[in-house]
Amino acid sequence: MSNRTLGLMMGGVVLLIVAVAIVFVFVVAGGDGGDDDTAPVSTDPTATTDPTAVTDPTESPAGDGDAASTPAATEAARGDGERVSGICGENRLITFGSDPATVLDPIQVGDADTAVYVTEIFGGLVTLDLDLNVQPDIAERWEVSDDGMVYTFFLRDDAVFHNGRRVTAEDFKYSFERAADPANFSPTARDYLGNIAGVLDKLGGSADEVRGVRVIDESTLRIELLRPISYFLQELTYTVAFVVDREQVEDDPRGWTRNPVGTGPFRLKSWRPLEELVLVPHERYHLGPPKLDEVVFQLGGGSLLTRFENDEIHVSPVPATELPGVLSGESDLSDLYRPAPQLSLSYLGMNVNEPPFDDPLVRQAFALAINREAINEALYFNAFLVADGIVPPTMPGYAADVSSYPYDPERAAELLARSRYAGNMPRITLTYSGSGGDPPDTLQAYLQQWRDALGVEVELEAIEWAAYLRELRRGTMQMYGAGWIADYPDPENFIGKLFGGDSETNHTGYASERVDALLREAAILGDNERRYQLYREAEQIVIDDAPVIPTFWGIDHYLVRDCVLNWPDVGTIVPKYRHIEIDTTRE
Amino acid sequence: MGLGLAGYLVRRLLWAVPVLIAVSMLVFLALRFTPGDPVDTLLGNRYDEELAAQLRARYGYDQPIPVQYVKYVQNLLQGDLGVSTKHVDFSVAEVILPKIRVSAAMGIMAVVVGFGLGIPIGVFAARRRGSFLDPLTIGSWLLLDSIPVFVVVPWAMWLFALTLGWVNLSYGGVFHPNIILPVLLISLPGVAGVARIMRASIIQVMGEDYLRTARAKGLREWTVVTRHLMRNALLPMITVIGLALPGIFAGALFTELLFGIPGVGREYLEALLARDYDVVLALVLFGSALFVFANIAVDMAYGFIDPRVRVGAARETG
Repeated sequence: MSNRTLGLMMGGVVLLIVAVAIVFVFVVAGGDGGDDDTAPVSTDPTATTDPTAVTDPTESPAGDGDAASTPAATEAARGDGERVSGICGENRLITFGSDPATVLDPIQVGDADTAVYVTEIFGGLVTLDLDLNVQPDIAERWEVSDDGMVYTFFLRDDAVFHNGRRVTAEDFKYSFERAADPANFSPTARDYLGNIAGVLDKLGGSADEVRGVRVIDESTLRIELLRPISYFLQELTYTVAFVVDREQVEDDPRGWTRNPVGTGPFRLKSWRPLEELVLVPHERYHLGPPKLDEVVFQLGGGSLLTRFENDEIHVSPVPATELPGVLSGESDLSDLYRPAPQLSLSYLGMNVNEPPFDDPLVRQAFALAINREAINEALYFNAFLVADGIVPPTMPGYAADVSSYPYDPERAAELLARSRYAGNMPRITLTYSGSGGDPPDTLQAYLQQWRDALGVEVELEAIEWAAYLRELRRGTMQMYGAGWIADYPDPENFIGKLFGGDSETNHTGYASERVDALLREAAILGDNERRYQLYREAEQIVIDDAPVIPTFWGIDHYLVRDCVLNWPDVGTIVPKYRHIEIDTTRE
Repeated sequence: MGLGLAGYLVRRLLWAVPVLIAVSMLVFLALRFTPGDPVDTLLGNRYDEELAAQLRARYGYDQPIPVQYVKYVQNLLQGDLGVSTKHVDFSVAEVILPKIRVSAAMGIMAVVVGFGLGIPIGVFAARRRGSFLDPLTIGSWLLLDSIPVFVVVPWAMWLFALTLGWVNLSYGGVFHPNIILPVLLISLPGVAGVARIMRASIIQVMGEDYLRTARAKGLREWTVVTRHLMRNALLPMITVIGLALPGIFAGALFTELLFGIPGVGREYLEALLARDYDVVLALVLFGSALFVFANIAVDMAYGFIDPRVRVGAARETG
C-alpha cells in the first residue's frame, strides 16, 4: 500500500469519526455543542457530606473529595518553592467548597455545605463574630423583658438588600412566617424557631400567622417566646432566621434561589453546579463591605492539594493521609498549615438498652481501654484534639474541669470483670457509616486496644450513609461511630441535643433525671456563667454514665497561601470572607 | 434504503421498548428496596416523624410501590422525568442535562482522540506484520491499558502539572485547555484495543480474494482502497465506535472525581448516595437507551457500508 493511499484512508477515517461525533452532539446535547459554560445555574444532588459524620479524624477535614495527591506529589513541590504564582496577583480569593446540597434558600439549609454560602449571602437580626459571640447584624440593639419571654429588636436604618431596598421589620415578619409555613417544608424551622410563640401552630396548620412575631413600626420587631430560652439569640444566628426579599420570592417562588437577594456581605455572581460558585461584594453592606473583589469556590473536589501545590488555589484542605507529610516540618507546605478548631466531636455511641452496654460498667471499661493519645500521635502527628470531655474547647462556656476517661487498661479489665457480662460477653458489632474499602484506622485501633485490654472481640460493620441514618434513628445499632457538629455555639447544643431525655437526636437511649433537671434549669437562666456551670455539671454526669465514648474534637486542616491576609482560623460556619484580602505584592 | 431496511429499523426500535421497561422496573424496585429513602437523607439528623410523613406524602413515597411505578411511567410518557428530592422543586432534566452535556463533549473528544490514534497505529502494525515493530507497538499501548486510571491520574498530575508545569488541573469548562489531560487519560487506555482490531481487520481484508480481483481487473489503487479495502476494514470499527460512546459515559467516573469535572459519573454517584430516586432512574434509563440505540445505529451503519448486511435488500451488483 502506498503512503498516499494510506494517508487518504486515514483522512477518510477521521472524517467518519467527526461525522459520528457531530451527529452525537446534536442528538445528545440538544445541538448546543456541549458547551457547559452556557448551562443554566441549576442544582444537582451532591455533597454527600453530612453535617454530623465528618468529624472522625479519619475522614477528610472538609468532607470534600479526598485529594488524590500521592506522596510523590508532595515531594515534587519541595524543591520548587520559587515557581512564579499568578493567583496572588489579583484581589480574588480562590478556595474550595462543596456543591450546595440544596437550594440557596435560608429555610431549606440543614447542612454545613450549603450554610457556608447562605451565611455570606444572607443575614438576620443577629450574627456570630469570629470568636463565636452573638453580635448585632440587622438589629442594632435589642431589649429583653425581665421574664426573658419578650425580645424587642431595633433595626438599623442603613441595612439594605442587595437590590438597595431597606430592610424593615415587615420583612422579618414575612421571613419568619415563610419559614413556619408547612407548605415550605423547612427542615429546620421547628428546631430553631419552635420556641417563638405561634411557630409550631403555623407549622401544624392551625394558624395563618405567627402570633409571637409582631411589627411595632418599620424599625421595631417584637418576638415573644413560649418560655424563656437562654440560648434564643444563638438560635437566631442560624440561617432559618435570616431575612429574604418578599418581592423576589413571591415573583418567582421556584427560581429566585438561583439569583438570591439577601442582605449579607456578598452577592451570588454565578453558580455552576459541581464546578464553581462565585461571590462578589455587597458594596452597601452595613457592617463594612468585603475587601476582596471576588471569592471563587471551586466545587469540583478532586485533587485539591495537587492544585494548591500547582498554585491554582489559595486554600486547600489537607486530607488525613497527607497530614504527617505536611506536619513533619520538612515540607514546604508545613509553613502554610493552618488548623481551625471546629465545634465538633466524634464519639462512639452505645445503645444503653441492649446487652452488653446496658451495664454501665461495660461502657466505662470500653472507654478506659482505648488510648486516644497514642492513636493521635501514631497516626496523625497529634493533629487532632483528644476529646477530654464532650463540649469542645472553642465553645463559649467551655471549662477544662470536665474530663473524660483516661487510658487505664488495668482498671478497664477490673471493671469488666465486675460487670454482669464478665465471662459471657455477647457478640458486639460496631457500625459505622462508610462506603466500602478499609475501615478507618481509628476504628481498627480501638478494636485492637479492646482486644488487648479486655480480651473482647468487636466486629466492624460498614453501612452506607442513608441506611446508617435510618438505623441510628431506630436505635438498632449496638455500638456505632458518630459525630456531632454544633448548630449554634452554646453548650446546650451538645448536652441537650445528644443526651436530653426527650431529644430527637439522642440515639443512645440514654435518659438521666439529673441531667434533664439541669438542662431544664439552665434553659431559662439569664446568667450565662451560672448556666454554663449547670451544663458542665450535666456533662460530667453524662461522662460518668458513659452512654458515649468521646474520642476526638474536630479540627479543619487547611493550607493557606501567604498572600491571603486575615484568614480566620475558625472551623465553624460564620460569615468570614469579608475580613479577608489578598496581598497582591506578595507571592 | 429499501422498505426492508425501514421495517428492520422499526422492528428493532419496537424491541427497545420492552428492554427499557424492564430496566426501569428493575432499577425502580432496587431503589425502593434499598434501605434509606430520600427523606432520610434529606432530613438527616433533623428527622422528625411528622415532617418526614409530610415529605413522603408530597413525593408520593407513602403509596404502594406498584402505584408509584405506574405514576412514574405515566409521567415519563409525558416527558416528565420527575423532580430531584435533594434540590427542592428542581426537575430532573434541569439537574442532569448540564452533566450530560459535559460528559458527551468529553466522551466525543475521547473517542476522536482514541480512534484518531488507534486506527493509524493499527494500520502501522498491520503493515509491519512479521517485524518486531508490530508486537512492540501494540504491546506498549497495552501497557497503558493495563494500569488502572486511579493510578495513572495522580502520576500524570504529578508529571504534567507539578513537574513539567504544562497544564493546570482546575476544571474550566469542556472547551478550556485544562480539559486536555483528562481527555487523554480517558482515551489513551482504549487506543490499544482500537489498534488491535484495526490491525486484524486490515490484515484480513488485504488477504481477501476480492481485493486481488479488484487489482487484477486493473482498477486504480485509489478505487481499490476506497471501494474495497476501506469499506471492509472499517466495518468492525463502526461497531467499536458505536459501542464505545455509551461506555465512555460510565467509564469516566474516576477521571471526573479526580479532576473535579461536573459530569454524569459524579452526578450518578451523588444521586445514588442521596437516594435521589428520580435522578438515579433517569441516568440509568439514559445510559440504557444510549446503549440500545447505539446498537441499532451500529447495525444500520453496517447496512450502509456493507451491502451484504442489508436485510431483505435486493442483491446489488458491485
